[in-house]
Amino acid sequence: MSEGTHPLRPRPVPRNFLLLQELENGEKGHGDGYCSYGLDKSDDTFMYNWTGTIFGPPGTPFDGRIYRLRVYCGDQYPKQPPKVWFITRINMPGVDQQTGAVNPREIECLDKWKPSNNINAVLRSIFSKMTKRESRLAQPPEQTTYPTPLPATGN
Amino acid sequence: MAGVPKRILKEIERLHNDPVPGIDVESVNDSVRYFKVVMAGPSQSPYQGGQFSLELFLPEEYPMAPPKVRFLTKMYHPNIDKLGRICLDILKDKWSPALQIRTVLLSIQALLSAPNPDDPLANDVAEQWKSNEKQAIQTAAEWTAKYAV
Repeated sequence: MSEGTHPLRPRPVPRNFLLLQELENGEKGHGDGYCSYGLDKSDDTFMYNWTGTIFGPPGTPFDGRIYRLRVYCGDQYPKQPPKVWFITRINMPGVDQQTGAVNPREIECLDKWKPSNNINAVLRSIFSKMTKRESRLAQPPEQTTYPTPLPATGN
Repeated sequence: MAGVPKRILKEIERLHNDPVPGIDVESVNDSVRYFKVVMAGPSQSPYQGGQFSLELFLPEEYPMAPPKVRFLTKMYHPNIDKLGRICLDILKDKWSPALQIRTVLLSIQALLSAPNPDDPLANDVAEQWKSNEKQAIQTAAEWTAKYAV
C-alpha cells in the first residue's frame, strides 16, 4: 500500500497540484506582506524554479532593503525541502558568502522539514532568522548580487 | 482500499472496462486519486493528430468538489494557460457531483474543438484568436506538430 492511503492519515496532494495551489496563494499575496514568491518563468510546466522576495525586517541591519532569493523545488518536493539561495548579497549566519546558498541546517523550517511546510514557510523562517541578534552584522553594499548560478532543471 | 469512496472505484472500473475512445486514463503508482491521461486531439481541429498529456487529481472532497486537471503538453489555446491550467466552467462554479471523470475529459476534448476566446485564460492567445483566427489556428496546428507527437 502506498504512503498516505491509510484512512486516518490525510492523503498527500501530488507535488504538481500542491505547487499549483502554492502559486495561487502566492499570487493572492497571503501573509503579512514581508515575504512573497512566484514562479521564475510562467511556462515552467513542472514548477521547479521560483523567485522569493523578503523585505528586510524593521529595526535590523536589513531594514529598508529588498532581498531576492531563488527557490528550487525538486521532483521529490514536498517530501524533500526546497533548495534556497539568496540572489541579493546579504551577510547573515547560514548564507554562503561565495554563492548565496542557504544552509538548511541553519534555517529552522528547512532543518526540521515537514511535507506540510511550503515555500512561504521557508521565506518566513529566513525572515525570522534575520530578526535574531546573531544576524546583526555589517552588510554589503545595497543592490549587489551573487554570481548567477546555472538554472537548475530536473532533480 | 479502506477509505476510498465506492463512487471513485466504480468510475475507475468503468473507465477501464468501457474506455472513452481517444482518451487513455492510467493511474499513477496505483493511486485511486491521481491519474495520467493521454487525449487524442479531435479531428477537424488544429489539435488533430496530436496526443496530449494531462494529469488529473481527485481531491479529498470529490465528488463534492471537482477534479483538478491540467495539460502537461504545451497548448496553443485561448482557454489553456502556459502551465496547462484549463478555463472550463464545470471545473469551477458549474461543477456538479453528477459529473464524472469521464464527462470532464469529454468536456475538455470538446473545448479543443470549440475554443472560446471570449472567456480567455491566456490573453495573448485569445487576442490573436479574435484578431486573426486563421493565423491562430495555424499556430495551434504548429504547436501540435511540435509538442504533441
